Amino acid sequence: MAGRSLTVVISQAPGKNPVKRHLEEEIALRLMLSGTAEVSVVPHLYDMTSDHTGMLWLRSLKGNLVVLGWLYPRAMRWILDRHGVKGKVGESKLNLAENDDDDDDDEQRTGETSDSVPSQGIGSLNAPNRLVYVIDLRDNPDPETYLTEIGRIAETTSVPLVQLTGLGTKSLLPVLGVNSLTNTDSTGHLTGHGLPSNGTSKSLSIDLAALTTAGSGKDATAFPTVIDGLDVRRRWYPVIDYSRCTNCMECIDFCLFGVYGVDGVDRILVEQQDNCKKGCPACSRVCPVNAIFFPEHKTPAIAGAEGGLVGDFKIDLSKLFGAPSPLDMAILERDHELVADGRAAVGAAVGIPKRQCGQPAKPRDDLDDLMDGLDSLDL
Amino acid sequence: MSDPLVFMMGKFETQILTDRDYFESHVWVQTTGDLSRIGFTSYAVRLLQDVYFLDWQIDPETAVRHKQAIGEIESSKAVSTLYAPADGRLVRFNEALQTDPSLINVDNYERGWLYELSTTAVPLSPEQYLQKLEAGWEQTQRILKSQFNE
Repeated sequence: MAGRSLTVVISQAPGKNPVKRHLEEEIALRLMLSGTAEVSVVPHLYDMTSDHTGMLWLRSLKGNLVVLGWLYPRAMRWILDRHGVKGKVGESKLNLAENDDDDDDDEQRTGETSDSVPSQGIGSLNAPNRLVYVIDLRDNPDPETYLTEIGRIAETTSVPLVQLTGLGTKSLLPVLGVNSLTNTDSTGHLTGHGLPSNGTSKSLSIDLAALTTAGSGKDATAFPTVIDGLDVRRRWYPVIDYSRCTNCMECIDFCLFGVYGVDGVDRILVEQQDNCKKGCPACSRVCPVNAIFFPEHKTPAIAGAEGGLVGDFKIDLSKLFGAPSPLDMAILERDHELVADGRAAVGAAVGIPKRQCGQPAKPRDDLDDLMDGLDSLDL
Repeated sequence: MSDPLVFMMGKFETQILTDRDYFESHVWVQTTGDLSRIGFTSYAVRLLQDVYFLDWQIDPETAVRHKQAIGEIESSKAVSTLYAPADGRLVRFNEALQTDPSLINVDNYERGWLYELSTTAVPLSPEQYLQKLEAGWEQTQRILKSQFNE
C-alpha cells in the first residue's frame, strides 16, 4: 500500500464568491474520491488568528503539506510560517515565479532554515524536515490544473512502504530505492540516498514518529476535515518574508502604532498584528529589502507577488502622473493614520533613519555622478 | 488663443493648448475665481489610450495634499493611481465621467475634465510644460519600456 504522508489543505476565500467556492469544493471532492491525499478545509489563511481552530489544525499536521489558497504563494508561505506552520520549500510547477528561489541540493539538513540559498535574510527558525507546497488558486480557474499538480507532488513525495518486522512498532518504513538505505545516524533517523550518486541526489531523512502518525490507516474515502470560518473577521497586518529580512529594525522604528516587536532571540516580529491600521501599507515602503508585505493590498508588489505578474501587460503610469517616492508615500500614509487616531502628524521627523548625517557635506565627486546616473536608469 | 504648441511623442504629434496652464503630472488647469478645473493633457491621453474605468477614493469637498492618492484609472494600455497635483481642496468631480469615462478620450480638454480644485499653487505656463516634456522624454521612454522587460 502506498504511504500517504501528503495532506492537502484548502484555505477558503473570504466572502461568498460562488465561483471560488465551487473551485474549492470541486478540488476537495475529487481529492477525496481519488484518495491521493488527505484533504482539509480551513478559512482564509490571512484572516485566521494564531489561536483559531483552523490554525491549530494546520499546526497539528505533520508530513508534507500542500496548501491551496487565494493569496500569492510567497504570502501564504510566510503567513503559515508566522503561525508556526513551517517546513522546507516545496517547489510547485504552478508557481513559476517562486521557482526563481531554487534550493541548492542540501545534504542532510535537519531542522535548519527552509531557504538553502545563501541569501542575506535571517530565514525561518526551526523549520521541520517536511515539504510545504503553496499554490495560488487565482492562477487558473480549472480544477484539473491543481489536481494534476497535486498528483505530481504526491508521486514525488510518497514512497512505497514495506513492513519490516522486529522493530517493535507498527510503523511502516520506506524503502528508498536500490542504494544503501540502512545507514542510521545517531538520533535514530534513517538516512539514505535514493538516487544514483551523480551528485544530484537529495538525501531524505525520515522521522519514524511522523510516519506513524501520517500512515495510521486513514482510508481513501475519509471525509475531509472542515473548519468553518463563521467566526473569522477580515484582518489587516504586515507579513515579513524572512528570506529577505535582514533584521535591520527600520520597520520597528517607523511604525508608531506598536505593530512590530522582537522575539526571544532578538529577531523582528509582527507582534501586535491587530494594532495595524486597516489599509495602511506605509511600513512596506520603508523596508530596504522589500521584505514586508500586505497580502490583501491591491498593488501586487505590496501584496507579495513575485517580480512582475505573468499576463499583466499594462503599463503603470503612476510615476508619470505624479506619484511620490515610496518614502514620501509612506510618510503621507503614516500621517494620515496618526491624524485619524487623534494624534499629531509627524512628517519625516520621526523614525526615518538618516544615513551619514554626522558627516560634513563634501563637494560632488565622480561617485555621486555615477550614482545619479544609475538612479536615472530606473532599472 | 494662439496656435497650440506641439510636442512629438515619437511619431505622434500631441498638442499643448495655449489658453490654459499645466501641472507637471500631465494635467491642464483652467482657473475661474477660486476654482481650478483640471483634466488630462493629450500627452496623458496618448499614453492611456481608451479609458475603461475611473475611480475616485475621496469625497468631494475634501482637503488634499500634493501627491496624495485621490483615485485610480484603468485603460486599455495602462493603469495608474491618480495623485493630487497640489495642496488644496478638492471641490467636485465631473459627474459625467461616472457614466462615461470615454469622454476623456473624446474631448479631454473640454467635456472630459476630471475635477475642480481650489488651490494657491502656481501652475506651469504652456511653454514651461513643453520644456518639461522635452526634458523628461528620454527618462519617460525608459520608464515605459523597462516595464515590458521585467
